[in-house]
Amino acid sequence: MTGSTTILPIAEIAAERFHEEFPEYTVLVSGLGSSAGIESVAKGSSDIGTASRDLKPEEEVLGLYDTPIALDAIAVIVNPDNPIDTLSIEQVRAVFAGEIANWAELGGGDRAIGLVNRDEASGTREAFSNIVMGDVPYDMGAAVLPGTGQVRSVVAEAPGAIGYISLGFVNDEVKALAIDGVEPSIESVARGDYPVQRTLHFFTVGEPEGLAARFAAWVLSDEIQETVIRDAGFLPIGAGGGS
Amino acid sequence: MTDGDRRALKLAEEPGPRASGTLQRVSKRTYLKEFALKNLFLLCAFVAVMGVFLIFAFVGLRGWPAFAEIGVWRFLAGREWSASGEQFGIFPLIYGSVVVMLGALALGTPLAVGTAVFLSEIASPRARSVVRPAVELLAGIPSVIYGFFGLLILRPVVARFSDGLGFGAVTGWVILAIMIVPTIATLSEDALRSIPGGIREASYAMGATTWQTVYKVLVPAAKIGIIDAVILGMGRAIGETMAVLMVVGNAPVIPESITAPMATLTTQIVMDMPYAAGLHRTALFGMAIILFGVSMALVALVRLISRWQTSIKGA
Repeated sequence: MTGSTTILPIAEIAAERFHEEFPEYTVLVSGLGSSAGIESVAKGSSDIGTASRDLKPEEEVLGLYDTPIALDAIAVIVNPDNPIDTLSIEQVRAVFAGEIANWAELGGGDRAIGLVNRDEASGTREAFSNIVMGDVPYDMGAAVLPGTGQVRSVVAEAPGAIGYISLGFVNDEVKALAIDGVEPSIESVARGDYPVQRTLHFFTVGEPEGLAARFAAWVLSDEIQETVIRDAGFLPIGAGGGS
Repeated sequence: MTDGDRRALKLAEEPGPRASGTLQRVSKRTYLKEFALKNLFLLCAFVAVMGVFLIFAFVGLRGWPAFAEIGVWRFLAGREWSASGEQFGIFPLIYGSVVVMLGALALGTPLAVGTAVFLSEIASPRARSVVRPAVELLAGIPSVIYGFFGLLILRPVVARFSDGLGFGAVTGWVILAIMIVPTIATLSEDALRSIPGGIREASYAMGATTWQTVYKVLVPAAKIGIIDAVILGMGRAIGETMAVLMVVGNAPVIPESITAPMATLTTQIVMDMPYAAGLHRTALFGMAIILFGVSMALVALVRLISRWQTSIKGA
């Protein structure tokens, strides 16, 4: 299997555990990017192609079978004292591009916006960039912090700060904004309503068969979903209920 | 006691010079031991020199292409650093390093020289026995602890006064100023103490107060030593990474204010190293060359100044 570098860490661990469980099978995993994954499975050089995005229109004609394996949602967080509760995705984009620099422009108090970004190695930054920013570059003057925990603690203290973290890391110290009016929650993500989310996919040619089917089932099992997937900061695909 | 030891002991009891000529009378075993130890120490010194040389060669070889591939001017004067955008201009980082260093020196030098004057001229032996170890301890605190202190205690204070996040040059200045105090203070104190007592006594004998003696006589007399100390403090400030990384905000831009996020050469290397590849990685090594050059220049400057000083004294 090959494809998304976002999925690579979880795929590697899952493959390792799979090998421990069924020593007669070995799953080879590589990460080249989602597009390469889709291309390689369509050409037949991989059994499974992984992608951290949905199929593009030109890829839908390839007749690939989609097995969603996990959800990844990113919460936009602000200080709990910030009066703003909701922003549109366009506003979030303008804020992180540095076009809006004061909360007053968004209907909040007259306070400078303190942008908190992640480092370029961060998968969360990459995902946020893909989903929210599109081709719009980040404001280079934003503070760059090397960890989710740091982003959260800084936003928790600074009244004007805004940042983004994986939904799983949101706690009481910060306020997660509703985007386009949708509160980020496991329920809204599971329903697919929350805009800053993406589904991680396994793609196969036709329904998965043989080893590919066994591996996909393995990844979807509670054993992997509740440990590997959650540890990586993603949400299990069936996260509708429960924690 | 072995034969050799006994003979060596006997040798020591004998009167007269015990230079290389008499060494031949020592047993072969002692001779071999001496020979082995001498070479062991030579090896130690050699390893240190090799370490410097290898690091220099490695960094040089890996970083040199940055100047060639990016272009010296675009690399050094480029205003945009963006790995994903393939833009490797390090001017904002050089600017950041210089700003952070100068601010730290401006805050730290008076503090450190004041401490040195207190320790060498004013403090009672008892006060000195408390202050001195405290200053030395300051040098022993790992920089990540300074960073933590800056991030969790100092940054929120700066944030309150600046309506921002508290990341920025001013936070870095305060942390670095504290960090360079031990370097500058201990060396300045040595310089002050090495002034002959007679100069002090002459000053007091002429009716000068302590302040006048310190300000008009001692500090000028120890000037060169203090300048050396400040230059070494400069080296510490420009090379410091971890503590700075945690408080400056790491935005590779020329900051709009002293409370806006910024980055330095060292912090950007740490931020980017884990994932850098290709030209990006080469550019990081290119930045390392610059840092290496700066610290070599500072060491050379110190040597030059002390040589100048000895030549003045000799004259």
